[in-house]
Amino acid sequence: MSDFDLDDEIDIEMDRRLTALARNTREPALPDAIADLPWTVQLAPPRTSPLSYLRSFGGFGRAATSVVRLGLTLALAGSFLLLVGNIRASGSAAAIAEPPSTPRPSGATAAPFVPEVVLVPTSGVVDDVMAGFVAGAVRSAESDGAAAVIIELDTLGGSESAMQDIVKSLNAKVPTIVWVGPAGAKAASAGTFITLSSNLAYMAPSTNIGAASPVAAGGADIAATYGQTEADKVMQDAIAAIRSIAEDRHPDAVAWAITTVQSAQSYSAEQALSAHGINGIASSIDDVLNQAEGQTVTTSTGTVVVHVKGAPIVTINEDVVQSFLHTLDDPNIAFILLVLGVLLIGVEFFHPTLLMGLVGAMALALSFYGSGSLPLNVLGVVLVVLGIGMIVLEPNLPSHGILTIGGIAVFVVGAVAFYGSPGPYLPMVAVAWPIVGLMTAAAAVYGLIIVGSLLRLRRQPLPVGAGLVGYTQVVGQVGEVRSDLSPLGTVYVGRESWTARTRDGGVLGRDTKVRVVGQEGLTLVVEKVE
Amino acid sequence: MFAKESFLTVEPVRGKVHAAEAVDRTTFDTAFVAALERELSMAYRLSGYLLADSAEAQDAVQEASVRAWRGWKDLREREKFHSWFSQILVNVCRTRLRQRSKRRTLDVEDVDLESPDPFRAALARDAVGRALSSLSIELRMVVVLRYWGELSLAEIADRLRIPIGTVKSRHHAALQVLRRRIQPVEGGPM
Repeated sequence: MSDFDLDDEIDIEMDRRLTALARNTREPALPDAIADLPWTVQLAPPRTSPLSYLRSFGGFGRAATSVVRLGLTLALAGSFLLLVGNIRASGSAAAIAEPPSTPRPSGATAAPFVPEVVLVPTSGVVDDVMAGFVAGAVRSAESDGAAAVIIELDTLGGSESAMQDIVKSLNAKVPTIVWVGPAGAKAASAGTFITLSSNLAYMAPSTNIGAASPVAAGGADIAATYGQTEADKVMQDAIAAIRSIAEDRHPDAVAWAITTVQSAQSYSAEQALSAHGINGIASSIDDVLNQAEGQTVTTSTGTVVVHVKGAPIVTINEDVVQSFLHTLDDPNIAFILLVLGVLLIGVEFFHPTLLMGLVGAMALALSFYGSGSLPLNVLGVVLVVLGIGMIVLEPNLPSHGILTIGGIAVFVVGAVAFYGSPGPYLPMVAVAWPIVGLMTAAAAVYGLIIVGSLLRLRRQPLPVGAGLVGYTQVVGQVGEVRSDLSPLGTVYVGRESWTARTRDGGVLGRDTKVRVVGQEGLTLVVEKVE
Repeated sequence: MFAKESFLTVEPVRGKVHAAEAVDRTTFDTAFVAALERELSMAYRLSGYLLADSAEAQDAVQEASVRAWRGWKDLREREKFHSWFSQILVNVCRTRLRQRSKRRTLDVEDVDLESPDPFRAALARDAVGRALSSLSIELRMVVVLRYWGELSLAEIADRLRIPIGTVKSRHHAALQVLRRRIQPVEGGPM
C-alpha cells in the first residue's frame, strides 16, 4: 500500500499495526477539540513600514534599522540646520532690502527737514547675526539720509569674520558712532576692533575696552591648540588689523591700540581717552550727540561735519528671528543645547523613538550654530560628550552604577572646561556654575532612573518557570509586544516569550507595553497599558 | 463587533470557521480563511499526535495559522497552500518538541490523570501507541506524518525538507525501535 519498501517481516507487521492504530484513533479527537480551538486570525494585511523589511533579518536587521533611523534623523536635522541658516540669511537680507519704516517727515511736517539719528542697540557675542543686523541698520540709515548711526555696544567679543563685516559696515556714507555703554559695559576683544573702527568712539564712565584674554603674551592658548607658528600668525594678523584701523581713525593712538592685542591690555574709559583711543566719555546718548556735534569725520564719500544735536532718535531693534538666533550664542544656552542634543541622541540610539533623536539632533545643530562664535575648548566638549555617553551606556553595559558615577564626574570636568581661553577676537566666557549644577543634576537623575530600574528588574520574582504551566503568575504582569499582536502575536512577559492575543481584538505594535489580563492555554490575553 | 473599518475585523471564532460568515472582506481574506479552513482538522490531528497534547496542539495550529497569515501575501502559488501550511505546522511542532525537551517539562504521562488528554488516551489504548512517545523527535515526526497524515514518502520528504533517503531510513529505524519497545511487553507476562 505504500512506496516504502518494507524489507522485513517485522517491519511489515509494525506498519500494519501503526496503520490500524492511526485509523482507529482518527475519529475521536477531532470535532470537540477543534471547537475549542481559540483561533482568531486578523483579517488585515500586516502593517508594513519601509523599515519592517529590514527587521525581518533578525538581529542584524534590527541594527540596520537603528542605523537607517539614525541616518534619517541626522538628515532631518541637517535640513533643519540648513533652514535655520537660510532664515538667518534671509533675515539679514530682509533687513538690508527693507529698511525699517522710519518715521519719514510727512507732507504736513516736512517744512524743516531734520535728519534723524539711527540708534542700533547691540549686546552679546559678536556673531553673524549681529553683523547682518548692523549692516542692515547702516544700509537703511544711508538710504534714509540719516545724520549718523550710533552703535550701542556691550560685548565680550566674538567671531573674527563677523567682526570684520561690522568693521566694513562702519565705513559708511553716513557718519558712524560707537558708544560703549551704558555704565559697566565692555568692548572686549572683537568689540575693541569695532569701537576703534567707527568715525567717532565714545565710552560711558566705568566701561572697559581692550582684550579680555588674561593670557599675558596673548595667543598662548592658540599655541597650545594649533602650535606656535599658527599662534604667531593669528597674533600678527590681529596686530596688523588693529594697526590699520587705528591709523585710519585714531592716528595718535596706534601704539596704544596695539597693546590691547599684543599684551592683552584692558583699559578704562579714562585711560582710553587720555591715550586718544576714543573721542570722549559720554554718559548717555544725548551726551554723545552733544559731543559729536560739529566734529569733522571722513566717511566713505568724503569729509563731512557731523550735525546731530537735537536730532530725533530712531531706534532699530533686532527682529524676532535675529534675536532668537543671537540668543543661541549665549555660552550657557549653547552648552545646554549640546548636552540635551547628545543626551537625546544617545537615548534614541538605544531606545529608538525617532522623535527624541530628531529633537536631539536639532538641539545639537542649534548648539553648533551658536557655538560658532564662542571659544569652544575641544577637550571640554569631548569630556562632556564622553560623560553623557557613559551615562547613556549604563543599561547596555551594566556596571552597577560605576559608569553612571564616572560619567557624571567626567561630565562636570568637561562642563567646567567647556570654553577655553580665547584668542584676540573671541569672548572669554564660561558656563555658569548654576547651569553646570543643573545639567549635572539632570544627567544624574537620568542615570539614577536607569540604575534604579535595573535594580528593580533584578529584584523581580523569578518568572513563570521554564515549561511549568503556572498560569496565575503571569496574569497581572506587565510586558511588551515582541511581534505585532494582530491580534495574535508574541509578547515578552516575565523574561519569556508568550503567544498572546489582545483582549479587544485590537492591533498592538511592537514594543507596546501590555498587561496580562488572562490566559487561554498557552496563549495570554493582554491589554495595552495606558 | 470590533468593526474597525474596511479590512480590520477580528472575531473570536468558535467551532468551525465559516469563511462567509466570519469574513465578508476582500477576496484576499476570504481566500485565506477558506484555504485554512480545509487544513484545520488534519493540522490539529497531526499536531495532536506529534505533540500528544491537545492544548499544545491547539496552540501549534494557532501559531501555524498566524504564521501562515503573515506569509499569505508572499505566497506565490496559492494552490500549494496545503503543502506550504503543513510545512509550517511541522516546523512549529518540531520547535515545540525541541523546546519541550530543553525545558524538561513534566513527563507527559504524569500530567492531568483525571481528565486524560484525548490524544494521549487514544495512544495509551495500544501498545504501539504507548511506545510512540519513546521515539526521538525526528523518528516520531516521520511516523505520525506517514500513518496519521497518510503522506507518501515524497510528501514527507517535502514537509520535513529532508532527502527521501533520510525519510526511508528514519522510517525503518522508527519501526525497529517500536518493535523493540513492544516486544518485551507482548512476549512476557503482563
